[in-house]
Amino acid sequence: MKPRIYLALLIIPLGLILAAVPANTTHPYKLSPQDLLEYVNSGMQYFTPDEVAQMIVSKDPSLVLIDVRSEDEYEKFHLPGAINIPLSSLLEDQWKDYLHQDLRYNVFYSNGTVNSNEAWMLTRQLGYENNYVLQGGLNYWVETIMNPTAPPSTSPDEEIAKYDFRKGASQALGGGAVMESSSQTAPDLPKIAPRPTKKKVDGGC
Amino acid sequence: MGPLINNNLISQNTNFFLAFLVGIGFGFVLEVSGFSSSRKLAGVFYGYDTVVLKVFFTAAIVAMVGLLFMSLFNWIDLDLVYINPTYLWSTIIGGAIMGAGFITGGFCPGTGFCAASIGKIDAIFFIGGLFLGILIFAEAYPMLEPLYKGSFKGSPTLPQALGLKDGVVVLGIIFVALGMFWAGEWAERKFPREEY
Repeated sequence: MKPRIYLALLIIPLGLILAAVPANTTHPYKLSPQDLLEYVNSGMQYFTPDEVAQMIVSKDPSLVLIDVRSEDEYEKFHLPGAINIPLSSLLEDQWKDYLHQDLRYNVFYSNGTVNSNEAWMLTRQLGYENNYVLQGGLNYWVETIMNPTAPPSTSPDEEIAKYDFRKGASQALGGGAVMESSSQTAPDLPKIAPRPTKKKVDGGC
Repeated sequence: MGPLINNNLISQNTNFFLAFLVGIGFGFVLEVSGFSSSRKLAGVFYGYDTVVLKVFFTAAIVAMVGLLFMSLFNWIDLDLVYINPTYLWSTIIGGAIMGAGFITGGFCPGTGFCAASIGKIDAIFFIGGLFLGILIFAEAYPMLEPLYKGSFKGSPTLPQALGLKDGVVVLGIIFVALGMFWAGEWAERKFPREEY
């Protein structure tokens, strides 16, 4: 027999095996515990309330606030423009395009930071980039942005400036009292194209 | 667990070094298989020599089978493998231009460099034309951009488009490839050319 017949006889059974076995859909964790620990220690996953307030006030389109609390809690109160992805439904397919993208900063928030950090850790393990956590959660947000306390008059200038900004942001965002949500549903964000993976040199002959 | 680069198992520099080795291997195989002869490449269009078809389809089915087995063994996460995004219009028009250049020049870009490296003068002219084409494209880019980026389809794959399992599509392509090899050999007997 010619060698090409041998090769055909080799490749056809291999193809048959591939056609018969179920596809491998497991995605092993990409992040080692060591990497994750380093990341957590660096605190790089946090957006401070001031940063977020600044982005909301300036209507920064690259910010997507994601409320990971339950739907009820979301409807009672949520940050302006936030969308609701309850932690329990985080892994559903419908959210994948929101969480796995490289156009915007997703900032998770919950009342404290436990749930938002859990959401962050899950997406981090899945290898999704651009997901962050609102530092201190809503509680800290209300404390710092909605009801800022004036620093003593002997404070350094930066503290005073920070307070002034917070006071301004508080007014702009309807602070003083916890605001009622204006819209009950999440705004329709433009459809995000699936995240292209890293550009490589194209092949070809 | 692959891919090596996405999972930071190798550095960018190691990546370039491996790409360099793979590139040299690729060029070597092209030259050894006789791809630096423009007659051999043109032979696919006239049917007297279909070695190009056979080499590239063999490479494709070996790579497909290999990748799927590696995925089964958890050696690689196929979701992380880069897939060229599809822009329908640039694919169609670019494909037609590439095909026309292929048949008139007798090289595709890779084999053109391969032949130039062994000193073929026609290949050197071919590469000159290639750079000229790049220059024209770059200069006309603002005009061509809507066409170039028109009809973006994401990165679809055959199994997704057909709604079939990867393995089934691979088996189908294996049969298509073997059928094409057989048809190619038939064409070689049908349209023989004595010396080329």
